[in-house]
Amino acid sequence: MTARRDLAVAVAIWAVLSAIGVVVVLGTQILPVIASREAEVVNGAFVMLTVASVPILMLVVVPSAYSAIRFRASDDDETDGPPIHGHRAFEAGWVVVSLVLVIGLAAFGTIGLLEIRGGPDADLEVRAESTQWAWEFAYPDLGVRSKELVLPVDRRVRITIVSDDVLHSFYVPAFGIKQDAVPGRVTYLHVTPTVTGTYGAQCAELCGLGHTKMVAGVAVLELSEFEAWVAEQQPQQP
Amino acid sequence: MDRWRRPGLARGVLGGVAGFAVGALPIVAAAQLGADIKPGHGLALGYIGAQVGWLLGLGALRFWTAWALGRAADPVDQAAAHGRAGDWTRYFRFTTDHKVIGLQYLITSFVLFLTAGLLAMVLRLELAQPGRLMDGDTYNTVMSTHGIVMIVVALIAIVGGLGNYFVPLMIGARDMAFPKVNALSYWLLPPALLLIVANPLLGGFDTGWTAYPPLSQQANLGQQAFILTFITLGVSSIISAVNFLVTVARMRAPGMSLTRMPIFVWALTVTTSIVLVATSVVAAGMTMLLFDRLLGTAFFRPSAGGDPILFQHLFWFYSHPAVYVMAVPAFGAVLEVVPVFARKPLFAYRLAVLSFIGIGVLSFMVWAHHMFVSGMADYFHIPIMITTELISVPTGIVFLSALGTIWLGRIRFATPMLWVFGFLWNFVIGGITGVFLADVPTDLALSDTYFVVAHFHYTIVGGMVYGLFAGTYYWFPKITGRLMDERLGRAHFWWFTLAFNATFLPMFWLGLQGMRRRVADYPADLADVNLWTSVASSTIALSTLVFLVNAIRSWARGPKASANPWRAHTLEWQVASPPPVENFEHLPTVTAGPYEYGVSASGPVIRPGGATGH
Ligand SMILES: [Cu+2]
Ligand SMILES: [Cu+2]
Repeated sequence: MTARRDLAVAVAIWAVLSAIGVVVVLGTQILPVIASREAEVVNGAFVMLTVASVPILMLVVVPSAYSAIRFRASDDDETDGPPIHGHRAFEAGWVVVSLVLVIGLAAFGTIGLLEIRGGPDADLEVRAESTQWAWEFAYPDLGVRSKELVLPVDRRVRITIVSDDVLHSFYVPAFGIKQDAVPGRVTYLHVTPTVTGTYGAQCAELCGLGHTKMVAGVAVLELSEFEAWVAEQQPQQP
Repeated sequence: MDRWRRPGLARGVLGGVAGFAVGALPIVAAAQLGADIKPGHGLALGYIGAQVGWLLGLGALRFWTAWALGRAADPVDQAAAHGRAGDWTRYFRFTTDHKVIGLQYLITSFVLFLTAGLLAMVLRLELAQPGRLMDGDTYNTVMSTHGIVMIVVALIAIVGGLGNYFVPLMIGARDMAFPKVNALSYWLLPPALLLIVANPLLGGFDTGWTAYPPLSQQANLGQQAFILTFITLGVSSIISAVNFLVTVARMRAPGMSLTRMPIFVWALTVTTSIVLVATSVVAAGMTMLLFDRLLGTAFFRPSAGGDPILFQHLFWFYSHPAVYVMAVPAFGAVLEVVPVFARKPLFAYRLAVLSFIGIGVLSFMVWAHHMFVSGMADYFHIPIMITTELISVPTGIVFLSALGTIWLGRIRFATPMLWVFGFLWNFVIGGITGVFLADVPTDLALSDTYFVVAHFHYTIVGGMVYGLFAGTYYWFPKITGRLMDERLGRAHFWWFTLAFNATFLPMFWLGLQGMRRRVADYPADLADVNLWTSVASSTIALSTLVFLVNAIRSWARGPKASANPWRAHTLEWQVASPPPVENFEHLPTVTAGPYEYGVSASGPVIRPGGATGH
């Protein structure tokens, strides 16, 4: 039967293109900079979702393109196609497969969420204070304030985020995560920097005139360098 | 001076101006007496006065005021309000014919689409290179206005335009259930739309279309224009939704059972149900915001114990379902077009209907996916992530239905069918990238970046705009009685599709690099891609000119269209093109489903009942 052959050919094309797509995806770096444990989790979620996306994309592209070429009728053809109203088993299969896929994705998402938001206590506490339109960082246990966020590498940091005017959002692309600042509340995120270097923090929630310029430097240092920086910042002993 | 004596546009404008003065007067007086008055107070009351004066002058309320005053209905006036065929003035006054109202919505939407498109060009001009061209307030106002005007277009173009025009025709009715309410729903809009387009004159606003407090509490008077427009649009959509639902429930022709209802009508039914339930919630939120600005309340003011996150809940409880108010009618239009040009019955019709209903129900349970980084409780992320990803199951069924229909079909690539394929290819990208935003770990990185901008343009343009163009090219011969130029139609499709993808595909990458949305500047290493995007976006505008030329030229002197040029089976094609004023001389009796292609060999199987025998 030719209808069955069409199906077999389309499935074969789908499988080949999906496989090629998955290989391409696996060879692509998705997040440009991964400088924290959290960004590693986020990047893992990206890889998983992108791999899952390829066969789904192909599921739409291949049958539509195949139909467009194979089942195209000439303009003066006035005949109708076969009166197929549906296909119970195929419809049920489509629904079940998409349900299973979705539940699987949601399960992975939940695990990732628990990894990023849960976890052990932090080694260091930093307070990110936002205001229109600047960041300032306080280290309550160390008695230090700074315009730049300086963190030791491989230490788990709890960053509490506050605002005294409108909404802002603390976002360090290299750390892969962000969290809004809400006046009247204290929000937080955990981050464990894994790579030393300098990065940028930015405000990701529209906050008015100076939103674009609401950025701050981030430096991740070796622990010894960090301690030296703290000593330098602390008020001089009398 | 006759025009001032009769209700109409001129007297409406006069009434609006007078109404504004009357409304604002007490505020001016109070200010003279030393009350603590802000310009916003005058704008709010003046706007209400202007709306009332406008509607009175226009004659939009004359039937109800006559009734309230105990006067007998004037049948001559009622008939005049319905309009005569060929009388162009009916498009510029309070006319109750659903086809006139549909066209009013459609043309209004298109004008707004061009306006907001031009604003997007201004945005892309600023973003073409690093550094700044305009000051921050101007940029934010242009960005915010582009956003809200496009949202209005997406909300009203298919529902108000194609929905009004075709739902009564497709179910075999002579008009909507409440024609005067229908006209009122349209005529509430012009003052509101004028206000939002003119908001820069009031100082503009800088919050984007989401209007999050506390920023929206301190923003300029333009913010208040936004709030008043939003609430007016809400009132208009609620009364229009009631009208649609009653029409579909009560006005179907004999034999038009629910399972014989065209899929487009089903889409509108689900859409307007969503509108009916969700809209009052956001209207309440906007009203509370207005009160915070004007009356000293503190619903969302943290310094006085209010909660800004409450606003986000109220806002998204409407504004996520609103995404489906934009998308589901487009699904309906696409699935309406597919069987006609594939010459096959709509695949899995019942499952598609169920999927619309499923989308409608689930759309109320996913709103907080916009708030994964807002600071709401952590545990709440999990159920919202699950429901958001679940909604891709019914959405996927739309693809199943379309793909199942074209498979083994006899596909004719007339222009409407091209837009269907464009819908499939572009909307699938919007759908898949939506999963990255529904998934909490990836959303923590992507939220508020250009990835989001790219994603929602793929859903709203890929979904709604492609559906709108599929429907417009499909129904143009019915509306105008003339065929569109196929060559220009194809050129429009390919040009628009390439330009759209060239513009928005790179934005996913920009988002992954950490470029925030709603910024006027960016680091130098993103300059090349931004320049490319800016240039590409201007070609979208040019492609729209092709459509404009085609539509105007074809409307004026295209080849005459027969009643049923596509050999479709649904009822709107069984009447003349364009349809007569009351649609059906004799109400049709429906004897078969709408998509029985290949079952009955010779064309339409739904015939008008009675003795006319076309
Ligand atoms: Cu900010
Ligand atoms: Cu949403």
